[in-house]
Amino acid sequence: MTAAIATMGSTEKPLARRRTRTANRRLLPWLYLSPVIATFIVWIYWPLIDAFRLSFYQWDMLPTSPIVPVGWTNYINIFSLPKFWQALGNTGWYIAGLLPLAVALPLAIAIFTADLPPRARMVYRGIIFVPMIVAPVVAAAIWRWLLDPGHGMVNMMMRDFGFRPLRFLQDPNLALWTIVVLTGWKLIGFSTLILSAANANINPSLIEAARMDGASKWEIIRDIRLPLLSSTVLFLVMMTILLGAQWSFSYINVLTGGGPLGSSTNIYYVLWDFGFSSLSVGWSSAAAVILFLGFGALAFVLFRLIDKVSFHDN
Amino acid sequence: MTTDALALPRRARRASSASGWLKGFDLAGGHVVMALLSLFCLFPVYWMIVTSLRPANKVFERSLWPTAASLDNYTYALNAIPIGQMLVNTLIVAAIVTVVQLITGLLAAYAFARWRFPFDKLVHVLIALTWLVPLQVVMIPNYLLIANAGLLDSLTALILPHFASALAVLMLLQAMRSFPNEVLEAARMDGAGSWRVLWEVVTPNLRGTIASLAILIFISTWNEYFWPLLLTRTPEHSVIQIGIQMFMTSEGTQWGPLMAASTLASLPIFILYIVLQQQVVSSFMKSGIR
Amino acid sequence: MNRRTLLSAGVSLALGALALPAFAFAGDIPAKVEAPVTISYYNYNLATAGIGGEATKKLIAEFEAANPNIKVNGVGVTSAEISTRVQADVAAGRGPDVAQMVFSDFDFMVHNLGAVALEDIIPTAELKAHFEGISPKGLALGVYEGKTYGLAYTFSTPVLFYNADLFRKAGLDPENPPKTWAEVKVAAKAIVDKAGAEGIATGIFGPSAGDWLFQGLIRSNGASVLSKDRKTLTFASAEGIEAVSMLQDLYKSGVYSNLDISAAMDAMAAGTVGMYLQTSAVQGYLVKGAKGNFELRASTMPRFGDKPVRPNNSGSALVIMSHDPVKQRAAWELMKFMTSKHAYTVITSQIGYLPLRTDIVNDPQYLGEWVKDHPLIQPNLQQLAVLEPWESFPGANYRQIVKTMMDGAEQAVFGGGDPAKAMKDAQANAQKLMPAAMN
Repeated sequence: MTAAIATMGSTEKPLARRRTRTANRRLLPWLYLSPVIATFIVWIYWPLIDAFRLSFYQWDMLPTSPIVPVGWTNYINIFSLPKFWQALGNTGWYIAGLLPLAVALPLAIAIFTADLPPRARMVYRGIIFVPMIVAPVVAAAIWRWLLDPGHGMVNMMMRDFGFRPLRFLQDPNLALWTIVVLTGWKLIGFSTLILSAANANINPSLIEAARMDGASKWEIIRDIRLPLLSSTVLFLVMMTILLGAQWSFSYINVLTGGGPLGSSTNIYYVLWDFGFSSLSVGWSSAAAVILFLGFGALAFVLFRLIDKVSFHDN
Repeated sequence: MTTDALALPRRARRASSASGWLKGFDLAGGHVVMALLSLFCLFPVYWMIVTSLRPANKVFERSLWPTAASLDNYTYALNAIPIGQMLVNTLIVAAIVTVVQLITGLLAAYAFARWRFPFDKLVHVLIALTWLVPLQVVMIPNYLLIANAGLLDSLTALILPHFASALAVLMLLQAMRSFPNEVLEAARMDGAGSWRVLWEVVTPNLRGTIASLAILIFISTWNEYFWPLLLTRTPEHSVIQIGIQMFMTSEGTQWGPLMAASTLASLPIFILYIVLQQQVVSSFMKSGIR
Repeated sequence: MNRRTLLSAGVSLALGALALPAFAFAGDIPAKVEAPVTISYYNYNLATAGIGGEATKKLIAEFEAANPNIKVNGVGVTSAEISTRVQADVAAGRGPDVAQMVFSDFDFMVHNLGAVALEDIIPTAELKAHFEGISPKGLALGVYEGKTYGLAYTFSTPVLFYNADLFRKAGLDPENPPKTWAEVKVAAKAIVDKAGAEGIATGIFGPSAGDWLFQGLIRSNGASVLSKDRKTLTFASAEGIEAVSMLQDLYKSGVYSNLDISAAMDAMAAGTVGMYLQTSAVQGYLVKGAKGNFELRASTMPRFGDKPVRPNNSGSALVIMSHDPVKQRAAWELMKFMTSKHAYTVITSQIGYLPLRTDIVNDPQYLGEWVKDHPLIQPNLQQLAVLEPWESFPGANYRQIVKTMMDGAEQAVFGGGDPAKAMKDAQANAQKLMPAAMN
């Protein structure tokens, strides 16, 4: 593929006939795009399109089994799962819980630590980025080990300080929030880095000018830093809303399986549990369609919103 | 907005001595906050390493460092599964995926950066939208495709679906757009074809972005779990994340060996990170995905 | 490059491979494997790094040494994924030749995955000779619609493990563990009040629990999950609700809590729980934890009042999936070896499951000595005599039916609402997923 483009590129110049040139021009961008487009069509978009069709059938993937048309049954089955609605609500809670950890706290940290000496800043940033590079499987294993109600480090420490041990992953009132914190653990470094970068990019003369005018530190934050950081913040908010459910997935899968009582499940896990993991093509296709359309619509609204806000900003 | 900021009401200047004191307080506060956060971020990893170094019968101990360090758990883990082979496999997959994604990403980003063409916006959006399609959604058809191509239980199968990523395209495009146009124009004036401009002018100037992107791709491929879980059949053709999972069984978790295997699986990434830390963090700061 | 052609090509290939021997008759397979052949064997013990995996590898090596013409390609898949993996690979046209299948997938395996009935391919005399000495209850587990599709392999029964030290501390007699659920409640209460530990934990609920313990629980109260004609779900019958309400009562009185499987197992191993109802397969892990820490004992599953306890098995059977006569012969040889007296000695003593062949238990050449040293196996052996099959649900949605049923039961026990309502709702929802409703 790359070889084809290479020849294309090099032959372009010598055969500089006007006609071939315009034809080439028209083709050229597509040639450059072709590896990416081919990959995405084969591995993502074709399966997605096929999922639309298969979501109206019942099939267990086996070539010997019939592919039975069932109308809207797969969708009805999914929507009538009590867990589906519970999961939808939980997804909202996950996002609500992740926003402070993935956006607000990192924002505060980024601003707060901007004045630290550069060396210390580098060290801290180096450390808080570490969770980001830990594999999800490893992270889940470590946290299960730390949070074990019997001999987990966290509960033993709590006992030492005279608190009752908590069942972080087994208590229906806690499980979701525990997973929120674990997901936040992974994200906090990433968000802080991005926000620090944006914060460092703010023209220092603006701040200096304001300071000369006698603006307090808080006023500078409120009137200069926050507005200038708003597009980065919006980006992170959008990431959290759109991808928050995915980020929590591996923790839910390894640590709670959505339980107890479905308290820690989210939309993504429920559809995985009833659809993809059981290899029923109808269920999982319908689930894929629901996920794609749902998050696609959400993404559309968010992009629109951001467009509006950032237009206003400039 | 900027004019707003400049038009702040004038205030009486604060006493300089008070502000110095305040500054010191802020600084100390900043250190405390960051130290606590660092502890939160680092302790679990530290605990993994400490647990892995405890002797087999002292795994449940909780002294902050292993009282009698032992490599029992490592010996056990290394004997139980072919960790060395798995690490090599993971390395091969992650390295190839990184290189390929960078190349396809550069090509696609260049197409967007250099030309306007019909449907360019649409294609751009469709590429960005793949971010919203998690692997699990397309897992079953992709599995059948791999299986029918006879690629089950091979490293090729782990690489193929990762030939392109939205992240690479979008990040490189972002970087190319901020690339000074005059340089491109000058190159074009020299009669350099688009192919040469890409590799001789654009790419060398994107070194920082490419480096940080390479690290991101490498790490995320290294850490991947679901796709290999579906496709590999034998430990010898498997990757390290699958190996870790083999110590968490329904007949009880072997915490010591699990932590040892996890440490081994993380070590290459940690080393890479320590060596390139400056690069990772600072290129993040520079490119600042916004 | 065209995905559709690729797909359909693959599908027709797979069709060709599968559709051939719809009806094969006894005696069709060769008496011996004459030329070298390789068979694939999916096994979930191989997916774990530990004693189970090691013992299985050793058994395979011994088999290969004894049968030089047969090479076994062992593939490890975790128990939670083995049925979907087999399904995926059969769909891809490269299913296993022999698989260790979980019993709850039996219906699907027989009707959809093309499992082979032993009676259809093995000469009757040979079959009979091999079945000699196998416990009749154990043999019955693999029988489906009148034919033997699998031989119970690594299987076990529900055992009530208990911490004898906590029993003594609570003023209970460890020689007389509770026999009924009412006694369990009394004992658990004493453990909570006097020994300051958890009363009882079970492996009934949780993401990886499946429904096997739950089935045994409600069956022991006279309920069943499925009607005789396999068309109607019946787990929300009066008896079923009563059984679940009993657990709810345990929960409400503060002696039973909802721990997930691994947390419960860890808690029992750490000595912080009085009683623990779970498969005997976790015995090895518990014994390790108890060593030098507390005295671990075991009893049979509790019953309801005077009703007899009717546990079902957990675990797996070996099933022949191949449709090629030579490979079927090779698979059968492997299956015979893996269910031999020797293999069961290894499986019972090293991996911790039940011996399908009860005659080896007292035979000093096999398990005799080991059983004397390991009294914990006794309740497991006793229950083998009353073991009933683990019901598998029919139709394409059988996995979703199990999930819906277990979600409902969990809600009934821990959800704080009316157990009858939770159970009936779940049954109504699940009934819609049964095959009859689809037509």
